[in-house]
Amino acid sequence: MTDNLEQLIKEAVEKALEGDMDAINNIEDRVTRSKAKAALVKAKREAAKEKSEASSDEGSDPPPDSKKIKTSNENIAEKLIQQFPDDINKDLSSETNIQIQPKNWLDIAKYLRDDPACLFDSLQCITGVDLGEESDLEVRYNLHSMTHLHAIEIRISCPRNNCKVPSIESIWRIGDWFERETYDMYGIEFEGHSDLTRILLPEDWEGWPLRKDYDVQETYHGIIVPKVKEGWE
Amino acid sequence: MGVFENKFQDNVVVASLDKLLGWARSTSPWFFQFGLACCAIEMMATAASRHDLMRIGMLPRSSPRQADVMIVAGTVTLKMALRVKKLYEQMANPKYVISMGSCATSGGPYWQHGYHVLKGVDLVVPVDVYVPGCPPRPEALIEGLLKLQEKIQSERPLTRKTA
Repeated sequence: MTDNLEQLIKEAVEKALEGDMDAINNIEDRVTRSKAKAALVKAKREAAKEKSEASSDEGSDPPPDSKKIKTSNENIAEKLIQQFPDDINKDLSSETNIQIQPKNWLDIAKYLRDDPACLFDSLQCITGVDLGEESDLEVRYNLHSMTHLHAIEIRISCPRNNCKVPSIESIWRIGDWFERETYDMYGIEFEGHSDLTRILLPEDWEGWPLRKDYDVQETYHGIIVPKVKEGWE
Repeated sequence: MGVFENKFQDNVVVASLDKLLGWARSTSPWFFQFGLACCAIEMMATAASRHDLMRIGMLPRSSPRQADVMIVAGTVTLKMALRVKKLYEQMANPKYVISMGSCATSGGPYWQHGYHVLKGVDLVVPVDVYVPGCPPRPEALIEGLLKLQEKIQSERPLTRKTA
């Protein structure tokens, strides 16, 4: 009986390796079917292993050094440094992001959208970051190009008590709500925005909730917001 | 019944007006449908055909003016709290409130760190029945509604309250 089953599984796996999965799928017994599938996975893995071993034996050339391939962030950073030499923080930029000064951000954004080598037509996200109570706030833009299928991250930091960044609402339309949300949570002001008001919280809310030094208000329209909850529990 | 026995025709029932009003009110408490979070999904499931709130005489109304019961189903943010209060004030008397789920009852998972969440809807409106759960299953909500019906039935609207 067991020999029969093993034979059945073996045959089914052989057929499946040739591309006929029905041989396995048509096995009626569930346990046998799953055994056959497991055997198939094993067989495929072994085949792949053999193949890779064979190929590594054949080609003695070392594989191309993957570290030398530049990320899209580095490529775009190089372009930006040529175009806007004073606005890019070369030291802080890395392979995952490009750090820039807020001053000419609007022109840089326009360049990023329109330059044929960049063509970042999609602004995917704007995030605010609070880097700690003693340090700055930061705005991060994730850009993606539908044409070139590359993506970069732009980071702009600004001082905590006077955080002003040019608005890119006029360049990417979605920036409108993204910027309002970032303003709502961090109090980062986007200069030139057409309607910079709170988007999620009520208009009369006090403070910027996602900042590290945020202090929860004690009452809201007479409703108590308990800070110390011992007496409540 | 002794005095009235055999004095009326067969399909006449005699009851005290107080009890009759309580019975009438408790068996058709229409609820105000507004959901604030995931509890609303369970509330919808309760009203839909499998659990069928119509069995106990409840049906959703889209306006506070037509509703007797407000089921606060979900997280009440401080922004929403003012609206909840306003909606409650728009309902006609007699009116009842069910706090459904742990968010509406106490803030739930937002108890400690939710800067924007009201810590219990009873801070804003008077609550009659609390239904625990996160979210409560339809059976739990129905249990709460039956408890509310008991409460309504035990009321004596015409009896003068004495101190």
